[in-house]
Amino acid sequence: MTRNRPVISSVRCLAAVFVSLTVLACLNLFGCGLHEKRHESEPVELDSLGEQPIEPLPLTVDFDVAQAALGEILFAEPRLSGDSKVACTDCHHAEHGWADDQPHSRVVGRPESPVNVPTMYNVRFLYKLSWGGKYESLEAHIDALMTNPKVMASSWEIATQHLSELSSYRQLFAAVFRDGLTPSNLRQAILDYERSLVTPNAPFDRYLRGNAQAVSPEAKQGYALFKSYGCASCHQGMAIGGNVFERLGVLRNFFDDRGHFDNADLGRFNITKREQDRFVFRVPSLRNVALTAPYFHDGSAATLEDAVTTMASYQLGRELSEPDRSAVVAFLRSLTGEYRGNSL
Amino acid sequence: MNESGVLRASLAIAAAGFLALLAYSALHALDYGEEEAYSRDLRRVQAATAELNERVLKSRSALLSQYDPLVHALRDLHALHERLKRVPEFLGRSAALDMRARLRDSEAQLQQKDELVEDFKTQNSVLQNSLHYFPILANSVIDRARVTPAGATVASRIQALISAIMLFDTAADTESTSRVQSAQVDLSNAKQAAQELQLNHELELILAHSQIILERKPLTDGLVKQILAVPLPRIALALEEAYSLHYRSATDRALILRQILFGLASITIVLGLTDVILRLRRSALALELATGELRQANAALAREREKERQLGELKTRFVSMTSHEFRTPLSVIVSSTDLLENYSDRWDAERRSDHLERIRSAAGSMDRMLDDILLIGRAEAGVLRASPAQLNLDEFCRNLVESLEHSSGRSHSIRYSFSGDPQVTLDERLLSEVVGNLLSNALKYSPTGSQVDFDVDANDEQCKFAVEDRGIGIPEADIPRLFVSFFRAGNANQIKGSGLGLAVVQKALDVQNGTIEVQSRLGQGTKFVVLVPRDLGPLAASKSSSNEL
Repeated sequence: MTRNRPVISSVRCLAAVFVSLTVLACLNLFGCGLHEKRHESEPVELDSLGEQPIEPLPLTVDFDVAQAALGEILFAEPRLSGDSKVACTDCHHAEHGWADDQPHSRVVGRPESPVNVPTMYNVRFLYKLSWGGKYESLEAHIDALMTNPKVMASSWEIATQHLSELSSYRQLFAAVFRDGLTPSNLRQAILDYERSLVTPNAPFDRYLRGNAQAVSPEAKQGYALFKSYGCASCHQGMAIGGNVFERLGVLRNFFDDRGHFDNADLGRFNITKREQDRFVFRVPSLRNVALTAPYFHDGSAATLEDAVTTMASYQLGRELSEPDRSAVVAFLRSLTGEYRGNSL
Repeated sequence: MNESGVLRASLAIAAAGFLALLAYSALHALDYGEEEAYSRDLRRVQAATAELNERVLKSRSALLSQYDPLVHALRDLHALHERLKRVPEFLGRSAALDMRARLRDSEAQLQQKDELVEDFKTQNSVLQNSLHYFPILANSVIDRARVTPAGATVASRIQALISAIMLFDTAADTESTSRVQSAQVDLSNAKQAAQELQLNHELELILAHSQIILERKPLTDGLVKQILAVPLPRIALALEEAYSLHYRSATDRALILRQILFGLASITIVLGLTDVILRLRRSALALELATGELRQANAALAREREKERQLGELKTRFVSMTSHEFRTPLSVIVSSTDLLENYSDRWDAERRSDHLERIRSAAGSMDRMLDDILLIGRAEAGVLRASPAQLNLDEFCRNLVESLEHSSGRSHSIRYSFSGDPQVTLDERLLSEVVGNLLSNALKYSPTGSQVDFDVDANDEQCKFAVEDRGIGIPEADIPRLFVSFFRAGNANQIKGSGLGLAVVQKALDVQNGTIEVQSRLGQGTKFVVLVPRDLGPLAASKSSSNEL
């Protein structure tokens, strides 16, 4: 994951190509984003917290800044697709926490997405990707989406071909990579960008690090309920989920109540074909969950409150009181972090 | 040349082999950093497996509240396997194949373990939630049910289920299982009462959680057992053992390679040194040869020069001697001729004949000298030949003695003796040169009136002539050069002579295969002994005498 590319390469890029002035701006943003932002020690009150099911995100991560800056440009580039019409950002919207605000994404010239599009934030901390856990790594994920005829309908070679027609891209790649624009460099730049999408320093993380004032009393109450209801049985770890598979509908049948079901509802079964994996999904990360409505693989919960109610009912067999639900929602809202030093 | 060609060729082969092996061993050199990292990774497989097992057990016992540690342990194991697939180069190809085959086994086991852990997490999450929530929920329902008499039955049945679940959680056997099941049936039968108490929803939940525990605890525990039973540590141990075996054989190979390298280096050095030594020896030999030739040439040159010098000296001496020796008789002839011309009419006959006699004598002396010079010259030109003929040696010698006694005016007495057979085959003229010169020398260099002994002995093979005088003798230092032309002994300056006599003797003896020896004591006398073959065949006469001056 860690690459020690000399910073000179990015410096040279900036000097050589004026097209990359935009990159320079990005670099500056990056520079103060993940690497500088460290909060001064704040009053510690939380020594009684002890071992917690949730851990804060690291404040800094390693990635190649110049390549990530290039990847950010590529992320919005429709020339990556076979017909030069679809970009990554058509489904992953920055303003919706790099997810889609529609239950199923609709893109011109493509069939509707069978599942709700998940967020791109903090993907580097997930151990498997997609609702069914189909992809073992970001590389496997991006390779599959590039060639999927329902998504990008392209390949790294085709995308490279499209980009090489623009001199600005040729210059940018030549500035960032020693061997310029190649399929593998194109892929690498996007991967570096994806790995740079980290949102540390959420209020709740600050609370976990010892700042008692970082979250409201209601959120603290919500966290206590989150643990006692049993949400934390699955939503735990650094990403608050994303590291375990679970059946949707443990104590009540979710799909019977919804009234219909389609192939996408089979979840992990579609990958493993094991009976026990029917309706089993990867437990999603709750980081920045307030930004990524609607919820669940089918996008059936429009609001955070709906999602909490559904989860409590089908997974835990509970009916939550209104104050309890608000407390849990308040806790969930405290999980929204910072990107490039700005609160999301 | 051929030998050195073979040497060079083998030297080139040895050097090339050495370099090739050196390159090979450099490429397959044991990288200690790589080796250390690899064996550390191998050991890490067991440690990481143990770590994973420990975390699974902790999760099962609710000692671990999140699954990240499990995920990380599995990721570490996968990463370890990926790294281990890059088998160190120095182990060799077959070892790498073996290690990779074993790694594939290990990876298959890891994959199985991975799937088991995945299922375990899924089951365990729900189980832990129910184990945690079931007693809380059940007790709260009991508290609410107890307040009415009708609820007491419900409460006691819930209590019975709690006990059954607790027992089941401790030991999940068929007995505790059937106990939970009967407690569940009992509680289901109390649904009517619960509905009256408006606790039917809670009752459902209690039953659901107890059902989850009943179903998922054996499942989860079974998964834990399976996870722990995956023979990853055993395979890892076998992997480690195989690796150390390969490592040992690789180091053995490296050792053998090093020995071969050492041997090749030694051979190369020895061959190189041999080549150098041979070349040095060859050049030394050539130098020696050249030096020898040069030395010989120098010696020959020196000899030539010496000869030339001697020749030059001889010429000088010859010129001075002959001019002197010829002038004396010539002046006699000139003066006597002048006197006869001016005074013959006034002189008496005796005086005239005296001067005529002087002229004849001087001319005769010049004639003899010329004869001697001519003989030496012919000898040196290699044209002097012996002409042997029948000869009465006794008669020949007696005549010679008489003629000498006569010519010397009987100033000395010559004692002559002869023994043996007088009939010989010799060159009379050369023999007379030899014996005549020796006898005349004996008379010349001994005081008047003294006796000269002349003994001749002719045996079957050779004739021996011994001439002994009692004269002035010869200085010992002069004896080696006695037979050189124009040489005269240091003590003979007062006595007239050309220095040709003994040279003539020597030359005349040379062509007759004769020898001469001299014994002399200064002031007492000299004895010459000459040996000549009795019968000088025609062939013997052909011997050249031109080899020496």
